[in-house]
Amino acid sequence: MLKTYFLTAIRMLLRNRSYSFLNIMGLALGITCSLLLFLVVRFELSFDNFHEKGDRTYRLAIRHEADGNSGVMASIPGPITDILRQNNPGLEIITQVFGEQDGQITVPATANKPARHYREPGALGFVESDFFRMFSFGKGNLPFIERLQEPHTLILTQQLATKYFPDKEPVGQVLRLNNQLDLEVIGVIPDVPDNTDFPFKLFVSYASANELSPYEISEWGTVLSNQNLYVTLPAGADYKEIEASINRIVLPHIPKKHQDLKSFFLQPLHDVHHNEELFNYSMRVVPMEVIWAMALIGIILLLTACINFINLATGQAIKRSKEVGMRKVLGCSYRQIILQFLGETFLITFAATLLSVILTEISLPYLNQLLELKLTFSFVRDPLLLVFLGPLLVLVTLIAGLYPAYMLAGLQPIAALKNRLNTQQVAGLSLRRVLVVLQFTICQVLIICTLVVGEQMAYFRNKPLGFNKESVVLLRLPAGNATKLVSYKANLLKEPAIQKVSFTMAPPTSIIIAENGFKFNGSSEPMPFRSHTKFANEAYFNLFDIPFVAGRAFTASDTIKEFVINETMRRKLAIPTAQEALGYKLNMAGKDGIIVGVVQDFHQSSLHHELPPAIITSQLSAYYYMAAKIDMNQKEAAIRHLENIWNKAYSDDVFNYEFYDETFELFYREEVRQQTLFKIFAFIAIVIGCLGLYGLISFMVAQRTKEVGVRKVLGASALDITILFSKEFVKLVLVAFLFACPIAYYLMQKWLEDFTYRIDIPYVAFLIAGIVTLSVALITMSSKAIQAALADPVQSLKTE
Amino acid sequence: MKNIVIQTTQLEKKYLTDTIETTALTGVDLQIAQSDFVAIMGPSGCGKSTLLNMLGLLDAPTAGNLYFLGENVTKAPERKRANLRRQNLGFIFQSFNLIDELTVQENIELPLFYQGVPKSEIKARVQEVMQRVGIAHRHAYFPQQLSGGQQQRVAIARAVVGKPRLILADEPTGNLDSQHGREVMLLLSELNAAGATIVMVTHSPADAEYAHRVINLFDGQVVTERMAPAVAAI
Repeated sequence: MLKTYFLTAIRMLLRNRSYSFLNIMGLALGITCSLLLFLVVRFELSFDNFHEKGDRTYRLAIRHEADGNSGVMASIPGPITDILRQNNPGLEIITQVFGEQDGQITVPATANKPARHYREPGALGFVESDFFRMFSFGKGNLPFIERLQEPHTLILTQQLATKYFPDKEPVGQVLRLNNQLDLEVIGVIPDVPDNTDFPFKLFVSYASANELSPYEISEWGTVLSNQNLYVTLPAGADYKEIEASINRIVLPHIPKKHQDLKSFFLQPLHDVHHNEELFNYSMRVVPMEVIWAMALIGIILLLTACINFINLATGQAIKRSKEVGMRKVLGCSYRQIILQFLGETFLITFAATLLSVILTEISLPYLNQLLELKLTFSFVRDPLLLVFLGPLLVLVTLIAGLYPAYMLAGLQPIAALKNRLNTQQVAGLSLRRVLVVLQFTICQVLIICTLVVGEQMAYFRNKPLGFNKESVVLLRLPAGNATKLVSYKANLLKEPAIQKVSFTMAPPTSIIIAENGFKFNGSSEPMPFRSHTKFANEAYFNLFDIPFVAGRAFTASDTIKEFVINETMRRKLAIPTAQEALGYKLNMAGKDGIIVGVVQDFHQSSLHHELPPAIITSQLSAYYYMAAKIDMNQKEAAIRHLENIWNKAYSDDVFNYEFYDETFELFYREEVRQQTLFKIFAFIAIVIGCLGLYGLISFMVAQRTKEVGVRKVLGASALDITILFSKEFVKLVLVAFLFACPIAYYLMQKWLEDFTYRIDIPYVAFLIAGIVTLSVALITMSSKAIQAALADPVQSLKTE
Repeated sequence: MKNIVIQTTQLEKKYLTDTIETTALTGVDLQIAQSDFVAIMGPSGCGKSTLLNMLGLLDAPTAGNLYFLGENVTKAPERKRANLRRQNLGFIFQSFNLIDELTVQENIELPLFYQGVPKSEIKARVQEVMQRVGIAHRHAYFPQQLSGGQQQRVAIARAVVGKPRLILADEPTGNLDSQHGREVMLLLSELNAAGATIVMVTHSPADAEYAHRVINLFDGQVVTERMAPAVAAI
């Protein structure tokens, strides 16, 4: 019996190739999308879930509040660690981590090899030996970690060990960090996995950090976002109680001038990857809302594919009715018919799943590239995928197959045999209309969202930022060593392709943000709010075209001497006009100076945030970057010249440059990603929707064959017949539009709320979505409708 | 006295649409005994096919009673009807109604699968019946590859392979030329001679000649019932 079902199904699929293709393709697209999104969602949810003590490990974070502004940060001033260690409130492990953005490693020269230099951005972590007791990096007992307590020691990951020492034992070798510190390799651990927010490859002893950082990281006044404190609670401990104890112990120790630090809280390890308010070392935070949105899109696309299947399958009912009728006449039971058609659906779904595995295999590298992820897809290494695909197969079979199966099983045998099916018997033409409306609503919502996200991105790119980011090359200077290049400034400007040069801690908009306390107008008390501080030399304003409202740039100096403030700072200081601000005294880091200029506000971080009050001043030791404004027509010459000078100044450091406007895009990386996802999935939803539409129109044409014949006999033209069918679909698309508009409006309103600087929702996006779906629907439909309209009326009447 | 296979008393069928009530059959009293060969005749729309569908348990009457092998099945649920059809009835249609996706052999096997006949037995029985209707040489063909007469032979083979108590034929020669029509009627006669009970709806007086009894319907009522000449002469 199974054999005949199987044979019937296979032969039916082969005979109706276009139907089978549409069905399998639609389902395969849906399954592929859900599979890809499953991989993305699972990856994002798996961050740092492999640590044995992960469920009782927390990061200490601070709530700060001053002058009505409040916030949270995970940056822990060094002294807090000492206080907690001296008065441990029952913590099993306490360890501090300092992640460095950039670092250069030098493998010293040997008898037969010259020294080699490697830039290792984001790979440097300063950790204590307890770090490896807390986190499960490396397997089993790591006897060498104890030595990590000593300064100038280092643990390498396997990848770097092989890279630096391909032909010798790495342990015992010495590496030079940033041309400053010699570090002894004390051990090698396996590479850290991709799903961790500690993406380090070099684990340097924490004791060495102070020697390298331009800041005193063990001081109260230093608040660096990359300095974190992690704690592991004993098994069974109540984290709320411990949190309260930490507050009780630490708060009384906070010096008066840091009273803006209000309270401490424990952030669970699994939250580190998802909390947008706090920083992490992988520099990638994916909020849970985004993850749920992706999961939802996966489910929606799968449902769209199922709806599509239902439309196509029920559209085929007329063709299958004779077979079903005959089977029933022969005594086939209701249950047997249902099982037969569910079996067929299973077969189609199975074929679609196989195809989707291939499609996933093909598309994953592109998705990885687009989303900058390292997702893998392998049943051998990842048997869990089968656990996902197995139930998915059954679920899709049931969702897609149950309704058509019940519909066919419920046919009256005589009517079925004589093809006398009417809308009641092939129940639910209206249901199919509802399904098509649902599909088009989904398509239109996705199109509108794509357009709105795109508009907001364009707004970011085009919004005046208060400075000019074009034609600027950034060179990251060797840590704490700007002096050498500064001395080459005159040489740099000898090349006509290099127009201007400035040295700075960070360009105007940057992820590097320094916040400092300061005193104003001779007061002995610091102001109750912090300033965003830009350390830069006097050429900064001119290079970035930051216009002055009053005054001038500070005079050249290697230390803090004069200050320039922005308009927001002036308002915060309650100075009525920019002119009046000139001459006021400021004190920062113990250095006095006067305000010599007021500049227009410029954006310092992404447009998610408001403009902060800012102070710009000189401090040679804090310059991390050299910015060069170049003539883009002589780009190559400029870069060559920069490299030559660099090699003279820093012969031991790798020359590395980037164009500022390109790095700028990084600020909106998440939004660009979301837009990419929307684009891809909106497109796929439209494709699947069209397949479903094709199914519905096929059904309607088949059902109205006789009507079309009669109309043609009575003189209707092909155009009349095409219009007859088109009307129906125009209505469906319009109804979908009515649903899609408010849904998309609500969703985008919510999404835009996250941006301080945002667009008004462009109404033209709604119009475009409506027109696009209507056009696509009409094009899909017209081929079938024209086919019906051109058919020989004698033939269509004969079928009766 | 022969065994009664099927019996109707005051059988009635009405179709109800939104505004119109159409009476398809009314007051039909009928007895079909084992080994009978009955032809039902009458003009188009007189209710022949409706009666046949009722006798074949494909449709339910709106009034009256229907007995199958002595059991009242007037209001039997679909499950029971399907079971009775499977075990006792064979159908032959004007338009053959073969399943296009199955070969000749597979089409004929189908009723046996539904009856749950063991696989080994199916093969032998299908072979035998294919020989009987002269279609064995086309066993691997699909219906579209056969002539109309051959398709109807396959349909007949499918109708008899399950050894039904009653074969219902709805204009079995309606789609065939006279030569093929005659062949099919001879085949049905042979089956009847071998013990099969047949009820056949036909427009053709020539086909009706093969039957033992001819029932004439008009406007849903039995107007005359006579023994066929061939039988009457005996």
